[in-house]
Amino acid sequence: MAIAKAERLMNLALCLLGTRRPLSKGELRASIEAYIEAGKGAGGAAAGDDPGNDDAFNRMFERDKDDLRELGLIIETVEGLDGETGYLARRDSNRLPAITLDVEEAAALGLAARVWQQARLAAAASGALQKLAAAGMPLAEDPYGTHSALETRIPVHEAAFEPLMLAARDRRPVVFDYRKSNAARPEQRRVEPWALECWRGHWYLAGWDRDRQAERVFRLSRITGKVRSRALPFTAPVPDHVTVRTTVERWAGEKATGTARIKVRAGHGYPLRARALATHDLGDGWDELEIPYGHGLDAWLVEFGPDVIVLEPAELRAEVIDRLRAVAKG
Amino acid sequence: MATNAIDQTRRMLSLVTYLRERPGARVTDVARAFGITEDELIGDLDVLPMCGTSFRGGDLLDIDTDGDRIWWHNPDASGTSTGEPLRLAADEATALLVAARAVATLPGLRESDRQALVRATAKIEAAAGEAAGASSRLSVTFESEGGVFADADRAISERRRVWLRYYSPARDELTEREVDPIRLFAVGHTYMEAWCRLSEARRTFRLDRVAEIRILDEPSDPPPVELRDLSEGLVQPAAEDPEVVIEVGPGGRWVAEYYPHDSAEELADGGLRITLRTPDPASLRRLALRLGRDGRIAAPADLADSARDAAREALAAYGE
Repeated sequence: MAIAKAERLMNLALCLLGTRRPLSKGELRASIEAYIEAGKGAGGAAAGDDPGNDDAFNRMFERDKDDLRELGLIIETVEGLDGETGYLARRDSNRLPAITLDVEEAAALGLAARVWQQARLAAAASGALQKLAAAGMPLAEDPYGTHSALETRIPVHEAAFEPLMLAARDRRPVVFDYRKSNAARPEQRRVEPWALECWRGHWYLAGWDRDRQAERVFRLSRITGKVRSRALPFTAPVPDHVTVRTTVERWAGEKATGTARIKVRAGHGYPLRARALATHDLGDGWDELEIPYGHGLDAWLVEFGPDVIVLEPAELRAEVIDRLRAVAKG
Repeated sequence: MATNAIDQTRRMLSLVTYLRERPGARVTDVARAFGITEDELIGDLDVLPMCGTSFRGGDLLDIDTDGDRIWWHNPDASGTSTGEPLRLAADEATALLVAARAVATLPGLRESDRQALVRATAKIEAAAGEAAGASSRLSVTFESEGGVFADADRAISERRRVWLRYYSPARDELTEREVDPIRLFAVGHTYMEAWCRLSEARRTFRLDRVAEIRILDEPSDPPPVELRDLSEGLVQPAAEDPEVVIEVGPGGRWVAEYYPHDSAEELADGGLRITLRTPDPASLRRLALRLGRDGRIAAPADLADSARDAAREALAAYGE
């Protein structure tokens, strides 16, 4: 039976953490049973005669080192006098600095760690708590008992999330097909990903659009197909503060540029009334409202059908009438 | 939970450090501290005795369990020591810090809990060092329905009924109802799950649609209900719900992003034919009006008619 990957990774980690001097690839290969087993190959030929086995081992070894680095292990490569590369994971650079958490802090972190609905981040959050448990974090008695009744989940439904998160983390440019909300066909975009933000349950990416030579915000659900990343450096500086939210709020019409006067039938249009700057009862079963006017207000007002009538500005009135005509033609 | 080799390795490295300090630790306690099942822990304990540096003249980890307690017979053997707990990886720091920062902004979080979270966040940032840097590349903002949230939260902890004035966008009307709150949850927006005395059924209320809330003197008495699984979508149409077909042009493709649907078929003009089910097709009149020239209701006919009639009536009011 093949030796489980977790056992192989564990043994590689123990060898690298346990050594005081760098170990060569050959030494590591001879030190870990799974590598020795892999080297024997499945056929009758002696392992050493089969270069395919060396390739297979090299690929496995590179992947295993990458996997351990994902877990946070810092593996140093050292050029030996004989020209051979040696590997080691120094204790002092891999140690978690002293950290003392009380029971309340442990409970709060335990609750926060549960919010991810994304497999990779959920596993990373659990892994972090396990490292903290190993570092002496006390066990929270009943995380729900002492806490707010609120259960929180961060939704992540977009397939593009994980590759973009990794590319933003490692500062690698990406290429993806993106369909703008009103475009028939997706278009390829080359982007240096800066930050991802979840707002109202949807994820957005802010980054440098290489073709447009400007900052852009993308909605992850509009990315079609695969996100491919390149192991190349960024070409534009990364700003200290990335403004995903401001851009998205502007799209959503949250930023008013003026005010509008509308008539609303009594008993209708509660959300419009809730944001009204002023309301007058017209006495004929209608109220007059003054509301903030920003991008997208026309589409929203049309939703209320015959229960909302725009008085001014004229351009808003014309836009609403235009939309109503399209529906009336049906 | 399926165990992935990387997650298991991460866990076993922490386990070794943890067990060193706790000879004879109980399986139940260790599983709880690690947030795993006892079976998963036993699975790890089966692998650990095959790990070590025996090929380098060291020893294998001599760890075993009788199913109740865990014993490590050679914690000081050469080459078996991973010593101190390991530093946090970038993803680990990000997962914990981003979640903690988001939860700390939630309205209605008890002040003592918020302070504990803020203290813990600062300690994690310090301990993670460089690994904390990447956490600034992700952020999550929850809605803040502060006042309503605080009252709903208090009603749950005091087990009291509440009176709501609640906005239904489908009907564009406010209804008044008394409900027995069950729990609050946040998935994008913040919601209250409650037993509605009016409809004698479980209902989910979006807090930003609560126009008014009052805590009543009556005790809350919801019948026992199975809590819904938040990892599934909030909208789960039933198979017997009527079908609605919406045809949109390129400008209406967003409908497929916002409305859970059964199918979205590509059309030649770059649009979509979206088929969805809803218990209340009339509620989609709003959508038909909003779409304008970007889409139309293909079925059912009476829904398409009601949108057209509403538009004509509105145009008449404009003198058109």
